[in-house]
Amino acid sequence: MIVIDLILRLAFWLLLAPLLPGIINKVKAWVAGRRGPPVLQLYYDLAKLWRRGVVLSNLASPAFIAGPAIGWMALTLAAMLMPLGPAGSALSFRGDVLLLIYLLALARFCTAWAAMETGSAFEGMGAAREVSYAVLAEAAIIAAVLSLSVQTGSVSLATMLSPSAGAGAVLLAAGLFVVLLAENCRVPFDDPNTHLELTMIHEAMVLDHSGPPLAAILHGASIKLLLFSALLVQAVFPMGDLEPLAAAGTLAAGVLLVTLAVGLVESLLARLAFRHVPLLLTTAFLLCLFALLVAWKGGAQ
Amino acid sequence: MTPGQLLLIAFGSLAISIAIGFRMSRTWLILTLIGTISGLGAALRVLLLGENWAWENGFREHAFRLGGESLHLRLDGLSALFLVLVSVVGGAGAIYSREYWSDHHYPSSAPRGRAWWSVLLLSMGLLLMISNGLHFLIAWEIFAISGYFLIMLDNQRAAVRSAGWLYLAASHAGTMCLFAFFAALAANTGSWELGPMRDHPELAPLFWLALFGFGMKAGFFPLHIWLPSAHANAPSHVSAIMSGVAIKMGLYGIVRFSGWLPVPAAAGWVVITLGAISALLGITFAFAQNDFKRLLAYCSVENMGIIMIGVGGALLAVSHGDAPWGQLAIAGALLHVWNHGAFKSLLFFGAGSVLHATGTKDMSRLGGLWRAMPWTAGLFTLGALAVSGLPPLNGFISEWLVYLGLFDAVTSKASFAWVAMPAVIMLAMAGALAAASFAKAGAMIFLGAPRTKPAARAHECGIGMRGPMVALACVCAAIGLMPVLFWPAVSRAVGSWYPAWSALEMPVPLFTLGKVHVLLAIVLSFVAWGLWRKARANGLRRGMTWDCGYAAPTARMQYTSASFAGIVSGWFRWALQPERQTRKPHGYFPSTAMRLERIPETVLERIIGPISVLVMKVSTGVRSLQHGRLQFYILYIVVGLVALGIFVVLGGAP
Repeated sequence: MIVIDLILRLAFWLLLAPLLPGIINKVKAWVAGRRGPPVLQLYYDLAKLWRRGVVLSNLASPAFIAGPAIGWMALTLAAMLMPLGPAGSALSFRGDVLLLIYLLALARFCTAWAAMETGSAFEGMGAAREVSYAVLAEAAIIAAVLSLSVQTGSVSLATMLSPSAGAGAVLLAAGLFVVLLAENCRVPFDDPNTHLELTMIHEAMVLDHSGPPLAAILHGASIKLLLFSALLVQAVFPMGDLEPLAAAGTLAAGVLLVTLAVGLVESLLARLAFRHVPLLLTTAFLLCLFALLVAWKGGAQ
Repeated sequence: MTPGQLLLIAFGSLAISIAIGFRMSRTWLILTLIGTISGLGAALRVLLLGENWAWENGFREHAFRLGGESLHLRLDGLSALFLVLVSVVGGAGAIYSREYWSDHHYPSSAPRGRAWWSVLLLSMGLLLMISNGLHFLIAWEIFAISGYFLIMLDNQRAAVRSAGWLYLAASHAGTMCLFAFFAALAANTGSWELGPMRDHPELAPLFWLALFGFGMKAGFFPLHIWLPSAHANAPSHVSAIMSGVAIKMGLYGIVRFSGWLPVPAAAGWVVITLGAISALLGITFAFAQNDFKRLLAYCSVENMGIIMIGVGGALLAVSHGDAPWGQLAIAGALLHVWNHGAFKSLLFFGAGSVLHATGTKDMSRLGGLWRAMPWTAGLFTLGALAVSGLPPLNGFISEWLVYLGLFDAVTSKASFAWVAMPAVIMLAMAGALAAASFAKAGAMIFLGAPRTKPAARAHECGIGMRGPMVALACVCAAIGLMPVLFWPAVSRAVGSWYPAWSALEMPVPLFTLGKVHVLLAIVLSFVAWGLWRKARANGLRRGMTWDCGYAAPTARMQYTSASFAGIVSGWFRWALQPERQTRKPHGYFPSTAMRLERIPETVLERIIGPISVLVMKVSTGVRSLQHGRLQFYILYIVVGLVALGIFVVLGGAP
């Protein structure tokens, strides 16, 4: 039973995650009046990359390939900890939310490490930006988690995400949405479609990857997007109070909504100048902090 | 064997090794290892079997007396926890030093180094067991002095001498407070004997003296001024034991006496605040450093901050009606004592190996060393992951415990939640910065292309230096993968700190976390291997770094240490106060351009430095009053008498 559950869960995360970037791209195309790439484009890309050979930089060590692999699996295991509406999570224990946050940090560390392998200035630039902005993003995430924890008196994702975020829901949703954009390298923090390497974060880090390791990176990124969307949706909606079917529907609709919102933001906003990125992230942190204070006061009545 | 016999063997062999350290390096090593292993055995017996050991002078009146006080030793859970650390790192460092600081390369200082190493281990071991204030002070002084001589091993270099001097001065500023602390304690209780005295509320204010005195050694912000230069300039095996173990002695003092003595109501608030500030600012300074040993030293400030957050949380919990979350906080803090000892020593050993191979501590002169030094690179990476608190290694376990304690504090919504909340957020930011710092350190040293010739000519260290590193890496992995095995020991130490929390059952699912970590380790290594195989099967081609189409990338085009940290050091410019010298390129064909950046030790150079200059100025000014001319002295007396007369006439009679 456990094995089947685990396999279904893995299949859900691994197979469904690449859909999200496809939807985002479709939304962007609609807004711009183009037809756009097919929704399943990332699947085709992944399949193609998986069969391709690898060009390794002369300077790269085996960690150049181990890094993406570890990052990919850290994100997948983090996804296993994330509850999925009525299905719950594969494993739930007290403090699992901290493990999830630190698994994301592990993935980030490994990507940055692999980026530095090539000795390229661009990749150094991307890695430096990634690890620096992560400091603010981490503060925002932990504030959001604290607010959920204060709300429910628990440090376990399954309990924390089951009621709605209450009075602070709007603040929390706004804060988490900005963090989602930053952590997944979307506009206005980063432009996944740009070809001007100087302005990129995540794409600059993976410039020298190719073949299956690049597939692992792209797939991992899509899992991360789905992970953050699921977190955002379940933090805001009272998943625990709904019928199982309604909860599943809410989750699916919510994730779709978040994806649409990301697509719209990307269509309507320009990428921020780099000196403004910390300000926006600090705003996200403050939003989460206010959500925490609201949760605090809300429960005291 | 009983703990007493084991300790006697440890004492005996270490004492002999002091004497023979000057001559016979092999026998010294054997004796030191016997000493540390039997010390470890005694400590483990106490921790695992729970048999506290104590020894009081039961012989004749005049035997075993020192300074008129009778010897009294005891080894309880808390001391044993620290004794384990002393033994493990002490033994590993002894093996490491034989190759790293060998007689062949350092004929004059190596023998001295061995003897002082034994003195340091012996004094730390005694310090942990002594329960007499006077003897504690004596051992503390020997401990501080032996640390000084170890730092000064390479005293030909001016930087080493000034670092040693600063260490000595700072250390004695702390010792002065400890003199006051123990003297006041003895005056109040009527005896130098130490032990639990929670029922004397009048002793509470003494905690502040202890906090300053021990804090100077523990090196938390802003008392860390001596730490970066001392740890960066000492030989690496000395840096390892100073950073991994010696600063923990200061922490032992704080934990020990906050457990034995009553503490003021504000103690928990102050300690947790200091801890949070140390954690965040310590790691910020670390990230900005260009010297990798200084980076490691500042990172110790951060880790002491994490430990202090746990200790402060526990003090708060105790003063607010034994809130059970305090148990998690102190358990996390004490486990972090072990963890930090293990990974920081590992990292300093790795740093020593790099220094040994290249002769430079400047990260911007290194690069690409993984090829020449695969062992060092791999072990340093493991240490870097552990120190960044990433799963599945040990750093995560202890930080997780501290986090859980603080989360419980916040969700309880009591008054202390107001300090626990910022502490959690600062801990999270410190965690992200630690990952950034060590991504930088590892990448600058080991990855990319060699930036200078010495880096290109590096060589791997020998088995004598590799062995201790492998052992410490195993410790890191073991605590990370099987945390449950280490819980009873930590719990015993917690119990001897605060008996109400001595229950052995775990309040947190440490077993589940351990299982997840094992699973994680297996999956990660399996998938990494699988992806490597898949890449090989698809066809692996080596080529030049693409770098967006540059035809001839050079090593100088790589990101440097300062540029990697540039964004964050910009945010923290108010604290870091970087000194910059820039010569911008001019003209159409610029020939020279440069940019030098130095991160000063802000507290020392911007605050304490100017104040000392002022004090010196005033004292030099006052000195001109004393010039040896008799007639002026008589004038002083007359002026003094007249002033007194006016004072009396005006009615200010005593």
